[in-house]
Amino acid sequence: MTCAEFQRVLPYIIDGGGSAEEQQHLATCQVCSDLIADLRYIAEAAKLLVPMEDPSPKVWSGIQESLEREGMVKPARKHF
Amino acid sequence: MPQATNCYRRCIESGSRPEYTNLTTAKKILANGISEQEAIDRAKQGDAECFAALYGLHKRRVYSLCLRMVGNTAEAEDLTQEAFLQLYRKIATFRGESAFSTWLHRLSVNVVLMHLRKKGLPEVSLEQTLEPQNEDGPRRDIGARDNVLAGAIDRVNLGRSIESLPPGYRIIFVLHDVEGYEHNEIAEMLGCSIGNSKSQLHKARMKLRDLLKLSQAQRAARR
Repeated sequence: MTCAEFQRVLPYIIDGGGSAEEQQHLATCQVCSDLIADLRYIAEAAKLLVPMEDPSPKVWSGIQESLEREGMVKPARKHF
Repeated sequence: MPQATNCYRRCIESGSRPEYTNLTTAKKILANGISEQEAIDRAKQGDAECFAALYGLHKRRVYSLCLRMVGNTAEAEDLTQEAFLQLYRKIATFRGESAFSTWLHRLSVNVVLMHLRKKGLPEVSLEQTLEPQNEDGPRRDIGARDNVLAGAIDRVNLGRSIESLPPGYRIIFVLHDVEGYEHNEIAEMLGCSIGNSKSQLHKARMKLRDLLKLSQAQRAARR
């Protein structure tokens, strides 16, 4: 199996593992194993991204105004 | 419910989330001692105070999702607003078959996808983004060893690189790798095949790898 052939099927096997032939290629090819290491590293790093920011207070104001306009809450109760 | 009112007001006015014992526990306890489940039940009956509490509890996650999917603060705020308006209108239909946060998250994803479709971004039409793109294929790596990224990604860099992905790639990457959706769920949401979702995710990761390596090289050159 060549690198080109391996990388063509890579999107479909990266999470679940490939056939014996694909595994064999991976075990012997530094280029493809580096590539997989990078892609897995990116995926792992993405999992660690956590929500960092709150929306600005105007989002809540906008929600209140919309609900009041639609008559779903009473306008007098500014903060619900 | 005067005591509850004050607690919720404090949360909203300060922009902070209500306190609860542990993010990972199913039973989140809000500032006044009622559980998230109680707040949901009361919000279903139209209790606006409890809706406000739910907003305080979930606003950050919903906003972050919107921001990561659209890559634009103003749009993300509009979409956060729209997601919570939809929540207010639809909360009575929440039956508890999944966790509330999961349900709200899915509702928010749908709000963003609907918005992007309305904007008519070609990148959101998967048929277009799933077409092979010469510049994003894996061929450059074939036969040539390159530096590996291991240990070189920091959160800020990764966040910036995700923002600079083309929208179609960004959406798949955020849904799968950041938010944890499975390919079958993404395929259903976006109306594509599971294979297309996998293929698109791969291209997104490849593009990100390029962006991160470029940033790594630029940092090295500055030293």
